[in-house]
Amino acid sequence: MKILLAEDDPNISVIAKIALEHIGGHQVHLATNGRMALEMALSYDFDLILLDEMMPEMNGLTTCRQYIAKKQEPAPVIFLSAKSQESDIREFTEIALGYIPKPFDPATLNQTIYRIISKSQRAEAA
Amino acid sequence: MNLIRFRILFLITVALSIVGGFGYLTVSSFDQYSRINRNLNTSFYLQDKVEGLDVWKFSNSTLEDLRNHRRVLPEEHRANALSDIIQAYASRNPTTLRKRSDFFVRNEVEYRKYLFPLVYYLERRIEYFGLITLASMVLALLISYLYLRRALFNEIDSLSRKMVDFLNQRYTYQFTVPSPNEMGHLQATFNSLAQRVLSQMDELKSLDRAKSDFLSIASHELRTPLTSIKGSLSLLKTGVVGKLTDACANLVNIAEQETDRLIRLINDLLDLAKIDARKLPLTKKWTPISELIKPCLDSLQGLARTANVFLVSGELPPVEVNMDKDRVLQVLTNLISNAIKFSPKNSTVTVSVVVDESDRLVFKVTDQGKGIAPEDQELIFQKFRQATNAENPLVKGTGLGLAIAKALVEEHRGVIGVDSTPGVGSTFYFTLGEWRFNVKEQQSADPQSPTGVAA
Repeated sequence: MKILLAEDDPNISVIAKIALEHIGGHQVHLATNGRMALEMALSYDFDLILLDEMMPEMNGLTTCRQYIAKKQEPAPVIFLSAKSQESDIREFTEIALGYIPKPFDPATLNQTIYRIISKSQRAEAA
Repeated sequence: MNLIRFRILFLITVALSIVGGFGYLTVSSFDQYSRINRNLNTSFYLQDKVEGLDVWKFSNSTLEDLRNHRRVLPEEHRANALSDIIQAYASRNPTTLRKRSDFFVRNEVEYRKYLFPLVYYLERRIEYFGLITLASMVLALLISYLYLRRALFNEIDSLSRKMVDFLNQRYTYQFTVPSPNEMGHLQATFNSLAQRVLSQMDELKSLDRAKSDFLSIASHELRTPLTSIKGSLSLLKTGVVGKLTDACANLVNIAEQETDRLIRLINDLLDLAKIDARKLPLTKKWTPISELIKPCLDSLQGLARTANVFLVSGELPPVEVNMDKDRVLQVLTNLISNAIKFSPKNSTVTVSVVVDESDRLVFKVTDQGKGIAPEDQELIFQKFRQATNAENPLVKGTGLGLAIAKALVEEHRGVIGVDSTPGVGSTFYFTLGEWRFNVKEQQSADPQSPTGVAA
């Protein structure tokens, strides 16, 4: 898959990139803030977008809303967030495919992503 | 001269001199009046006596009585006339006596004629001054009352109203211009007191804000690098970035374990700091205790198996508790995992919930470990304290778990404690403040009962 990863912490984005590339065999492109992520997501076609919620310039939720509004066939979006309040989770799952709580284990990141995707596919099928 | 005490002193002086002056006039008039009355009585008495004199019934006592009266008569002409009569009576001369007593009676009648208007005048005077005295007393009392009300009572009332407002957090305390007297001093003192309280409240608020800022920054800044370290180690361990030698894998394992411990410690510390700062939001909900106990036991069975300890639970009463389930779960997990860690192999850890005789809902975790010495029983609920445990290699805690459990239980209006007999085992217990019997739960928990079948 061609994945866009938007994450402002360089270390965490490198770890996630290695996990996705080496374990999952995906192709990962990095964005370091919301505005950059939105521009990249609008200019190129990705199979999956991983959005950190807390980013400079524009937060994840806003980026996601603008992306879905502007892109003709938006790719599925998964949030990465340290927020764990029920209201926040509801907000994430309303506009995106799902969310991965931070801190995540990079060794199992790919499995987590596949689980979210297959869960939403099952939900669609049903 | 603006001071209230001087004004009151002045008021009292004026009132006293007015009342005293008129009072004196009344009393002195009354004194005069009673003297004149006495004179009149004497006059009547003497007239009677003189008219009744009879030389044929001469008596020494009558003579003596007349002589006594003569001595005290103030007016000279009356005394002289009486002397003449005494002389005539003593010489027993009826003709002279007759003549002289006629003269005496005429004299006395004249004398009384002069006194009567004086008596009338004095009666009026007594009435008049008495009334004025009474009226000025009433007036003085009224004026004093009105002045006290205006200068003291109204001000005290308004001050206490403002104090109550202040207590109710409506800060309309300011007295615009305190008057230059004792009440004014009090108002000014209250003003500065209130200002100091307000400024200290502001200070406290900013301190509080700084504290929560620090907490959130610290938790973010501490967790971020740890997340990266943990993630990197986890990736290294998978071997996808290059096969590790056994020694490398060993080192990575150690680093990962210690990182986990550091993360746990930081999470515990931040939890404790949040509880201390009352920054831990509890989301309380009425929850049946079975929803708490069962998942907790399930999640700890793995640890129990690893330690070769049996983990069992007693029958649960059908109650529900108003609690933050995650937080109470944290307390229970802490107590149970402690019990497992400190248990010898093949022993049993029992979890039970009972309603005790004083109507408290008590959660109990009982182990068959070596127990806790009485001197350690208080200590273990304090921060960074653990009972000495040299032998048990499984025990690797932060020393904060019980302190957090204590704080969390107290946030739920409960108490936490331990009963322990060294060599026999320990029972850790805690209570939760808000609980009630849940009838629905009781019925659905037992569908085989006749009522369940009928329904």
